[in-house]
Amino acid sequence: MTEASDQPDLELLSVTKRFKGFTAVDEVSLKVRRGEFVAIMGPSGCGKTTLLRILAGLETMTTGQLRIRGRDVSDVPVNLRSTRLVWQNYALFPHLDVFENIAFGLTLKPHDKAVVSGRVKAMADLVGMRDFLDRRIGQLSGGQKQRVALARALVTEPEILLLDEPLSALDAHLRLRMQGELRRIQQALGVTFIYVTHNQIEAFSMADRVVVMNAGRIEQVDTPERIYTFPKTHFVARFVGANNLFEGRVSAVDERHTAVACGHGTVTVTNRGATPAVGETVTVVVQADRMRRAAAGGPGENTVPVTLKGREFAGSQNIYLFDGLDGTEIKLVAQESMGSAAVMAVNASMTVHFSPEDASIIGYAGPAAAPAADAPAQAPAAVSAPPVQAPPPVQAPTPEPAGAAP
Amino acid sequence: MIAGDRNPWPALGRVFLALSYVFLFLPLVLLVVFSFQANRFPGLPLQGWTLAWYEKMIDQGTLLPALGHSMLVSPAAATVGTIIGFFAAYALNRFDFPGKTVLLGIIALPILIPPLILGVAFLGLLARVHLNGTLFSIFLTHVVLVTAPALSVIQLRLSQMPRQIEEAAWDLGATELQTLMRVVLPFAVPGILGGWLLAFTFSFDEFIIAWFVSGFDQTLPVAIYSILVASMEPTLNAIGAIVFAISALVLIGIEVLLLPLLFRKDTEEA
Amino acid sequence: MTAAAAGDAAIGAPARARRMRTPNDSPLKILCLAPIVIWYAIFFGLPLVFLLWIGFWRVENYQSIPDVSLQNYQEIFQNWVVKSRYGLAMLQSFWVASTTAAIATVLSFLIALALVFAVPARRQRLALLFVIAPFWSSYVLRLYSWQTILSKNGVLNSMLKAVGLDDWRLEIIYTQIATRVGLVHFLTPVLVVILYVTVINIDRTLIEAARELGASRWQAFTRVILPLSRFGLITAASFALIMGLGDALSGALLGGGAGASVLGKYPLYSAMLMTDYASSTNLPRTSALATILVVAMVAMMALGVWVAERARRRVSE
Repeated sequence: MTEASDQPDLELLSVTKRFKGFTAVDEVSLKVRRGEFVAIMGPSGCGKTTLLRILAGLETMTTGQLRIRGRDVSDVPVNLRSTRLVWQNYALFPHLDVFENIAFGLTLKPHDKAVVSGRVKAMADLVGMRDFLDRRIGQLSGGQKQRVALARALVTEPEILLLDEPLSALDAHLRLRMQGELRRIQQALGVTFIYVTHNQIEAFSMADRVVVMNAGRIEQVDTPERIYTFPKTHFVARFVGANNLFEGRVSAVDERHTAVACGHGTVTVTNRGATPAVGETVTVVVQADRMRRAAAGGPGENTVPVTLKGREFAGSQNIYLFDGLDGTEIKLVAQESMGSAAVMAVNASMTVHFSPEDASIIGYAGPAAAPAADAPAQAPAAVSAPPVQAPPPVQAPTPEPAGAAP
Repeated sequence: MIAGDRNPWPALGRVFLALSYVFLFLPLVLLVVFSFQANRFPGLPLQGWTLAWYEKMIDQGTLLPALGHSMLVSPAAATVGTIIGFFAAYALNRFDFPGKTVLLGIIALPILIPPLILGVAFLGLLARVHLNGTLFSIFLTHVVLVTAPALSVIQLRLSQMPRQIEEAAWDLGATELQTLMRVVLPFAVPGILGGWLLAFTFSFDEFIIAWFVSGFDQTLPVAIYSILVASMEPTLNAIGAIVFAISALVLIGIEVLLLPLLFRKDTEEA
Repeated sequence: MTAAAAGDAAIGAPARARRMRTPNDSPLKILCLAPIVIWYAIFFGLPLVFLLWIGFWRVENYQSIPDVSLQNYQEIFQNWVVKSRYGLAMLQSFWVASTTAAIATVLSFLIALALVFAVPARRQRLALLFVIAPFWSSYVLRLYSWQTILSKNGVLNSMLKAVGLDDWRLEIIYTQIATRVGLVHFLTPVLVVILYVTVINIDRTLIEAARELGASRWQAFTRVILPLSRFGLITAASFALIMGLGDALSGALLGGGAGASVLGKYPLYSAMLMTDYASSTNLPRTSALATILVVAMVAMMALGVWVAERARRRVSE
């Protein structure tokens, strides 16, 4: 990551886009440092592509402001902006060859042919397309097209590069290779990348920070680690990873733990910073791979009685689907090979367990309150990404009678 | 389809198709054949091969100049109609505006209104401004007739252009005009050529408007008609063979050069 | 960022939205549409206005004089069934055009079906191209060629004579049957394109499903293919009808002007209009006649739409 200057490279102030009948982008505010790699992630229709097109100047905002390096560019038309977009389907010019495609942006004004040629070749070197400069676009593979599209945008020395699901048309293997390439090129040039995707693996493996969007709003802005481990909203908890959500009411709070009465009994959760008040309705989040299937829980662990509903073998992983006593769907991911998995009958009753350390509480009026209230407020905090919170020291929590439900 | 169930229909269909081809090509083939036959009236028995009708056509003095007129008017009308059609197709493909459907309907009208009515209407206007009876007046009216077919072919091509290609050009800093000339125009070239050929054919074969509007400078179909109402002349077979050759060239041009380009699935798109 | 800054941005927004152009808001929109709009206005809209207007002019001493008189229309309707018999020509036109449209549509539908179901997929485009090819050749010349084929001592009759079938001589030249032959030959390529596109777009699995459910080939045709082709058939027939009503050439060259039909020896309206102008050069009367043809065609189309709409409503009720 490059050094953070005090002036953000890109600044969105309450950017809103309304179409007839619905709001595609709703009061989005965000600051991005120079050289940062930010991924915008969300389900299709969440407004992430519209937001990217607003940044590129291909779409107008209804209200709001857009600043690049301190300049207000809200009114600057697309061809005068210092942003470049890389399309999902590459959008290469079919009638030009690779060299002409990369050179396109440099040949629009009076130019020195030798200079253009030199810059095109240097950029082709960087993306590994030096040997393909005289190829027709139709002769290229998907990965090669992607490199040309990247070179065509980067050769014009944009201040910000916008990428719209650039890897989604590639096969899995190539996608993994290109992820590494993208990250390498981004670090070599120090250009700010805004990367839109619906694929959380891409977002998590490349980005410095991830923006999770839903229904036109920002749900959470944070480092990949923190988004994965500590989702702040119901939406993020459901959208990211495989989480189990238990609805309940806070029954007791002490200095170490919070007890939440859920439909199947009380669960204890290790406190992190602020705690909800007794009596508040909250949701406890536990990742599916932190749940354990065993006859009895360890000391201090939460126990949930369940009935087995189904099981999927996924090679080295087994995914179990349970129903809780109150009908809550519970998912458990176990690292076990197909053969070692126990044979169990559907509708068999059993218990699953998880440690209070591995659970977190969302949905209360504390620091991680409803997204509507904190979306603009979280931007300043996000400018300098806080370090990943060190997990609390491992220790056996005091067993609480309520925690170990029968 | 079903085992043991013999289906007679494909065979019957092929026989029917063969008969249809006979019906469709009979007049064309006979016209060319009898342009080389000595028969004064086309019919059996054949009276031997000759080039007499071609010589007579060259001496006769109205058909060749008329062909010349047609070869002047039709390319000109096709060119202007294609240029107008290209810009209109671009705007219709790219922009939304109120009344777009109505405009599309109006643009198609000259092909739907019988040319007979158009001919009378054009004559009314042109006679008023004393432009009737010239090749120029035929050119003016034929442009109206050929713009819609040219436009529809170009629009077909432009509709294959991914919108992102234009956006990519703007995004890289190109002005709208630069984008139009350097990205859209090269992409549309197959459509433009196809549209031009279609426009040319429409104008080259057009009879009734030219009949109303032209005076002494007749186009080829009008000249042929004038001879035809007077008498049956095998010189018509000779000029007909030449005209069919021109049409066949246009048709081969479309099949060989344009259809593959026009209907190719663009591999450039993801 | 503070809430106040967000508020400022929101307040400043409407003015900004007006300043930045969207891709849909470009001077090219006007510039690119201007040529076609101007050309159509001058050389298409204006002539149609003139057509209407000149219909009300007077003719004195072979000179057209701008006027607002009903003289032409009076003259035409006085001669509706007598002397020039414009009305009977109109009737003949509708009769010949509608029968021609029916014949051409059925023929073209059969050709389209044969192309789709009896020609291997790889050869279909070439086969279709051969059907369309005659369309690219000169219509006047094709009619001339039909004249030489159908005439009393023409190609067909001389062939019949050569094989000794003298009694089977075809006597159809200068009748409306010959007119129809020319028109069908002209219309078929266009109608085949319309109907081929219709039939090729019918999902083949629907036909297979019908057969699988026990339908015979005939039932699969009448219950699946025919209903799904209805829109294409209506389009093709309407197109053929309009072309048939507007065409003057086949009636003049093959129908011989006033060709005989079951209605009698009357010319087609459009052929009559052409000869009327050729002999009189009376542009005001010709304009009035053309206007009447337009009105009749529009009325017919409106009637067709009305009938179709009523039929549709009755089905849906």
